[in-house]
Amino acid sequence: MILPMVLGILVFALRRARPAADLCAVIATAANLAVSILLFKGNAVFSRAWIGLGFEFSLRLYNLSAFIILAMAAFGFLLTLYSVVFMRGKSGACLFHALVLISLALANGAVLANNLILMLFFWEALGITLWGMIAVGGRHSFRTATKAFIILGICDLCLMAGIAVCGHLAGTLTISKITITTGGLGGLAFIFMAIGAISKAGSMPFHTWIPDAATDAPLPFMAIFPGALEKLLGIYLLTRISLDMFTLSPDSWASFAMMSVGAITLVGAVLMALVQKDYKRLLSYHAISQVGYMILGIGTLLPVGIIGGLFHMINNALYKSCLFLTGGSVEKQTGTTDLEKLGGLGRMMPVTFICFIITAASISGVPPFNGFFSKELIYDGALERGKIFYFAAIFGSFLTAASFLKLGHAAFLGKPQKEDVKEAPVAMLVPMIIIAGLCILFGLWNSLPITEIFRPILGPGLEGHNFAGWPANKNLVLVTILVLIAAVANHLWGFKRTGSGLKAVDHIHYAPGLRTVYEKTEKGKLDPYNLGMKLADVFAGAAASCDKAIDWIYNNFTPSAAGVITGSIVKLHDGNYRTYMLWSIAATAIIISFLLK
Amino acid sequence: MLNSNLLLCAVFVPTIGAFAIPFIGRFSGIARNAAAFILVFVPLAASALLAPAVLSGRPVTLSYTLPLGCDFTLTADALAVFMAIVSSFISFVIVLYSFGYIRKYSHLSEYYTMVVFFIGSMMGLVYSANLIFIYLFWEMTAIASWRLIGFFREKTFVLKADKAFLITVFGALLMLLGFILIYTETGSFDLSIIKSRLGPGALSNTVVLLILFGILSKSATLPFHTWLPDAGVAPSPVTALLHAAVLVKIGVYVYARLFVATFSIGAIWHTVVPALAAISALVSAGAALVETDIKRIIAYSTVSQIAFIFLGLAVGGEIGLAGALLYILMHGLAKGGLFLCAGIVEHGTHTKDITKMGGLFGVMPMTAVSFLFCAFSVMGVPPFGGFFSKYMVISGALSNNTWIAMTFLVGAFLTILYLFRLFNMVFMGEEGTQSAREGSRIMVFSVAILGALSLVAGICIQYPASFVETAVKQMLGF
Repeated sequence: MILPMVLGILVFALRRARPAADLCAVIATAANLAVSILLFKGNAVFSRAWIGLGFEFSLRLYNLSAFIILAMAAFGFLLTLYSVVFMRGKSGACLFHALVLISLALANGAVLANNLILMLFFWEALGITLWGMIAVGGRHSFRTATKAFIILGICDLCLMAGIAVCGHLAGTLTISKITITTGGLGGLAFIFMAIGAISKAGSMPFHTWIPDAATDAPLPFMAIFPGALEKLLGIYLLTRISLDMFTLSPDSWASFAMMSVGAITLVGAVLMALVQKDYKRLLSYHAISQVGYMILGIGTLLPVGIIGGLFHMINNALYKSCLFLTGGSVEKQTGTTDLEKLGGLGRMMPVTFICFIITAASISGVPPFNGFFSKELIYDGALERGKIFYFAAIFGSFLTAASFLKLGHAAFLGKPQKEDVKEAPVAMLVPMIIIAGLCILFGLWNSLPITEIFRPILGPGLEGHNFAGWPANKNLVLVTILVLIAAVANHLWGFKRTGSGLKAVDHIHYAPGLRTVYEKTEKGKLDPYNLGMKLADVFAGAAASCDKAIDWIYNNFTPSAAGVITGSIVKLHDGNYRTYMLWSIAATAIIISFLLK
Repeated sequence: MLNSNLLLCAVFVPTIGAFAIPFIGRFSGIARNAAAFILVFVPLAASALLAPAVLSGRPVTLSYTLPLGCDFTLTADALAVFMAIVSSFISFVIVLYSFGYIRKYSHLSEYYTMVVFFIGSMMGLVYSANLIFIYLFWEMTAIASWRLIGFFREKTFVLKADKAFLITVFGALLMLLGFILIYTETGSFDLSIIKSRLGPGALSNTVVLLILFGILSKSATLPFHTWLPDAGVAPSPVTALLHAAVLVKIGVYVYARLFVATFSIGAIWHTVVPALAAISALVSAGAALVETDIKRIIAYSTVSQIAFIFLGLAVGGEIGLAGALLYILMHGLAKGGLFLCAGIVEHGTHTKDITKMGGLFGVMPMTAVSFLFCAFSVMGVPPFGGFFSKYMVISGALSNNTWIAMTFLVGAFLTILYLFRLFNMVFMGEEGTQSAREGSRIMVFSVAILGALSLVAGICIQYPASFVETAVKQMLGF
């Protein structure tokens, strides 16, 4: 079980050999994948004393963690294969691969850990590798790296506090032994732990580093981390805390809070995605928006919603990483991801285009691709909990479809801006094809993941419910199809009005009311990170003046007080005979009166 | 060698040997450096050799009877040995670094004398089990630090040295008053005798308050902290030695020795001290976000981090105490490293103003990486050592008082902010106006050791943790 971790570190040592580095990275991830396949379906607990005081080095393999490990290993392998080609010749490529491998090892550790401290150890350490991977991107990407690190670091500290409260309440730090209710301190613990989980997944309001990273970080990073691994980790933890560690009921405030966060995230982020003019930035906002669906699904706390959320997690990891990879191919072959400068690539890069179509259809929820089925399950759960959540989800779908129509139109159709663009190299195409294939597979044969993997997680008591196959609620399907048609109609109307695929959604962008919101957001005025930084500055100013005030006491007040006192004593010694006599008489009088008492 | 002789060696070889340095320095600079090196290595080796006996549960004690209850008693228990190893190891690395840093200045004999004398007094303080000798060694460290802060002899520098001396000595005198009150009550200054005569009752609040004045002023906690950032005028290795790794830990150590291991104090102090520490952590972290002088920022950071140690000690409980002791180790390594990196940066750029720096990563990559490692450790990010200590302290506090723990959580947020602000302004971004160069080999080597150890201490946490666990068990009397 520890093998993947050891392997990651071992390969880091081999990193120094530059020519062999690429090969090493691929072999390491392949070995990791092989080990994960062997471990899949296994059940094991490994435990060893570590620090004492309840800190145990304990790992646990069971169906959910084994599945997540397998998924991460698969993504790790495919994306390393891709990035070896993509990063060739770029500075810092070796460091990047090493960091990816270490991150993979840490993520494995975080998923397998059965002790909260051990989990936190791996979990938080990911922040450092994340910082490194973004900072590799270029000369100025350290700002984004810092932003990401600060946001995640602060959320991880919240997670740390949550874990401390959990340990205090439950009396143990072993995950599988903890059961806490969400009253009083338990509620605090839940909030803190949920912050840790959803911030890793990239939900609002902890999302703002992702679009920045899309511009600054190396592209494979986007596909691996915000695209796949972080979602898996964050949603994995969210599932663990809301199903195993805390006893929550569907009508609790915690459920309502999670669903609200989910709904706001999915609508807010997709609204931003709609108006982006850059391939990667647009995708990055979708990476945030899709988390909203998962949180919404798990937040329902209904079996159908949770299974939908988990299914959506893996589906999203598939299509989102593939979408980022298409973006990478485009960037590699044309040198830009600015949609203004792209167009007509469909003919010149047919394989990329087909992969794009499949994954875009998946993310928009077009049947029979995988995204459709998981979204239907989430809709089902959301509708049962409240109409408003259902409408938010459906509205999000409309905008998702609209923005992908825009993206596909602007990049792959229309008039070519450059002529001699070639298809991407085979090593980059293979991962894309495999992932797109999986999108179709998980759509057509959705009982494979659902009945085999996700249903056992919820445990017994679900007999008679079969979530696989064609959705049970036909009305929901009808609504979904209508919404998709509306999205297409909207796009065609916008295209006709402006004559450009890129500007097909301008009528939403410049709609009254929305326009000012967009302007403010684009300038970063609504960025919670910037607001938090301003708050910190204000606080720091206040603290510094408090500090200056204390220092003033030492630097000015004390010396001048001492000066005044000594000065007045000096004045008493004026060299005048009469003064000294008076002093002596007064002192004698005091002594005598004291003695007489 | 006999264990009690080791104890004597650890204390007296550096304190007395320090005065030989000026004479050796008259003949040869190299011999002087070698002497300083050996004199600092002795207490480290002696303490390390004491460790096995102490860890197996046999504290080493040695005592000379003196009149008036002023027996000269040295005791090495797990707490003392832990503290001695940590502070002498960090001092050892700092002396190594000094060979590179201080080379080009004058008055070198004075410098090494004072440094070695300081380390010897520190050892004496750590091993003393008698209040009067604690006070004595305490003031000896104050004298050494006064001379070292004003080492560069400029008028303002000397004033700042005076300020540091006056504040800490003022606190120490009040503390002495507290010690005398204890004496009038029990008739002895010897800790074990006092302990047996006092019985299980709590120490009176006046005494605790008086002693706290001393502890807080030495450990630079609000409102007695402002001398610490000012003391940044000292040579960088001195700042690292005094104000990051060793001197400021004296107050914390005496707190652990007196109020945790020896006496019991009133319940109210378990709220007052953490609350004071919380304010201290926030105010100094805020100040660190505003300052533009690299050493002042790190100094404020020290004030802020010391508050975490106080928190861990004051809330009590096994986890909190273990966290606080680990914090002493992790913070010492990391903060010492940060100050030493600051020294390299200051030498390389000839300025301390971070607004004039930038882009130094390309020029001094080793320093930058070491700085980053140390910074991560101070922030408390795994796999660096600071993670465990920070978690334990906060966890210990949460089971005691949720609000204060939340305040410290904010303090931890701010730590991330100001350290990254510092790192980015110094090492990233556009190149500053100054032309810079990397430090000398031995300086870079020293910071690399501290950076690497910050990482190793986290990955191999079980070794320091088991040491600390023994110390905590001895302190709580299990």
